[in-house]
Amino acid sequence: MNDTSKSISFDHVSIERGGATIISDVSVALPDQRVGIIGRNGSGKSTLVRSLNGLLPISAGSLVVHGVSSGEGAKKLARVTGFVFQNPDHQLIFPTALEELSFGLRQLGVGKADAKAQGLALLKEHGIAELAERPVHELSEGQKQLICILAVLIMEPKLVVLDEPFSSLDLRTRAALRRKLEKLDQQIIFVSHELDALSDYDKVLWIEDGRVKQLGAPVDVLAAYEEHELSGAHLHFEGVARA
Amino acid sequence: MISLYMAGNSWAHRLPARVKLLFLFVLSLLIIPFNTLWFSAALLAFVVALYATLGRRGLEKVKVVRPLLWMMVIILLVHAFLGDIEQGIIAVLRLLAMVLLANFISITTHMEALMDAVEPLFRPLRVFGISPMRMSLAVALVIRFVPVLLAVYASLQEAYKARTARSNSWRLLAPFALHAIKMTDHVSEALTARGGADGFDRS
Amino acid sequence: MSSDRSLVQIAFYAALIAALGLVPKIELGLAGGIPITAQSLGVMLAGMMLGPVRGGLAVALLLFLVALGLPFLAGGRGGIGVFYGMTAGYLAGYFFGAVAVGAIMRAMRNMNVVFGAIVSGVLGGIVVVHAFGVPVLAYKADMTLYNAFLVGSLPFIPGDLIKVALATLVAHTIARGLPSAMLSRS
Repeated sequence: MNDTSKSISFDHVSIERGGATIISDVSVALPDQRVGIIGRNGSGKSTLVRSLNGLLPISAGSLVVHGVSSGEGAKKLARVTGFVFQNPDHQLIFPTALEELSFGLRQLGVGKADAKAQGLALLKEHGIAELAERPVHELSEGQKQLICILAVLIMEPKLVVLDEPFSSLDLRTRAALRRKLEKLDQQIIFVSHELDALSDYDKVLWIEDGRVKQLGAPVDVLAAYEEHELSGAHLHFEGVARA
Repeated sequence: MISLYMAGNSWAHRLPARVKLLFLFVLSLLIIPFNTLWFSAALLAFVVALYATLGRRGLEKVKVVRPLLWMMVIILLVHAFLGDIEQGIIAVLRLLAMVLLANFISITTHMEALMDAVEPLFRPLRVFGISPMRMSLAVALVIRFVPVLLAVYASLQEAYKARTARSNSWRLLAPFALHAIKMTDHVSEALTARGGADGFDRS
Repeated sequence: MSSDRSLVQIAFYAALIAALGLVPKIELGLAGGIPITAQSLGVMLAGMMLGPVRGGLAVALLLFLVALGLPFLAGGRGGIGVFYGMTAGYLAGYFFGAVAVGAIMRAMRNMNVVFGAIVSGVLGGIVVVHAFGVPVLAYKADMTLYNAFLVGSLPFIPGDLIKVALATLVAHTIARGLPSAMLSRS
């Protein structure tokens, strides 16, 4: 289980953003296949997961993701970690789905024709070959987010991070996309406010004020989180003010 | 986004983009000394005949010059006022001919073929860090985000209308620009997350 | 500032200029209800926000897309034809105008943003744009420069002045709300 080539480990990691310390002195190892991350808005969970892809540099400590250490540079981290963002409209950078998928392969040095063929094959595999040439802005939110996920998967990352990717989707679409995620071989880090969605995960990590509040089995952590957040004393709008 | 391109397989579609562009460029220089009425009229007739070879659908594309017509009327009026209507007619005929000829290329050449055709011209720009890869990425980003920005504007209009019962205002411009600028942070983050504009080490 | 960010910013301003030419025309009460297209306002904004290099590249990128056949000029015009039409000079003027706006904005970065925006908007966004537009129109329409100015530029200058005012307002709003986006002044 503690094979570092298939695991994430934070060692006294701090992350600063615009002069403020968002993550302070986090040390945690995440060897499990599927890990959920929870916490209030502004707790630092988005910042923490961005460091996995190298999007945000860590300011102290060290981070190792599937054998790649933060010291090797952001680009090396981006190669092992795929990242799915909250809003597909900000993530899809090409006018059509096929171009979006082949872009990832082109990034890895695959030739134009090969990249197109493999992109089309992946769309077929997921039963959406007919979307290949359609303008992206005409697709539904669910279709867009699926394209985002496929655009990440086609690059064969070892770890896939999803930062609240389903927040604008309806129940049905969420369930369908979640089933697709369950089948993946990659390690999954899933940041979410929907606690139910994390109940069958291997571990849940609770972040509060830039620190690890709790790490453990979903049944324990989710219950503790819910109890903590919904108990009367904490019912104020701190999260709203911060967001 | 609808481009001017008209899908088809005519002789003009099959002609290499480079040949078409070169023809346009050379012709635009060659006609300069021939400043007579009959020549300009013949030139326009030749260009319209090119459209006609594409069939009925092709001939209809001549309509693209419609937005220019009012300005052409003004040009004619100015020349008429100065007592030299013939020069005005010549100028208008040549303008119509050259605009239509240039658009003939746009109508019969796919965007990608055009891009490939002009790519060598941009090679010297590599010195400034503008690689073909970056150019095509930038082109793709614009095509992708024009409709997104139009949707953002429409949603601002909706919010404005809900509160003022008016549907459009200069007051929307500043929030529109702010939205667009904030979006660039997210999009560039998404690009960086997948290896950035230059991709991963191609080793 | 990463190169990915620069690339995305250039592309976004190109898209913004296109979008401003395609959104419904805005009717201004103060100008007697004249509808104006906001495209050249986008050109001014590109220079004011991005500075001369990126602002100029944003306009160049837009013109490149237009040449590729995309309908991104005001009213949905596009194609190689527009570069052979009588307004081709104004398109060249958009490019040099954005560069000039950005350069003036940068030179005045230590002064009041409203002042800088007005000066750069009038000089770069109006004078430079028309300085390229008028000679080409005169040549294409076989007119004197004076006549070309009378029919091709003069009628549009009141609208252009309104656009400088609007661009200034936007620049002022962004300088207050999101100062990091004013790259011309950093």
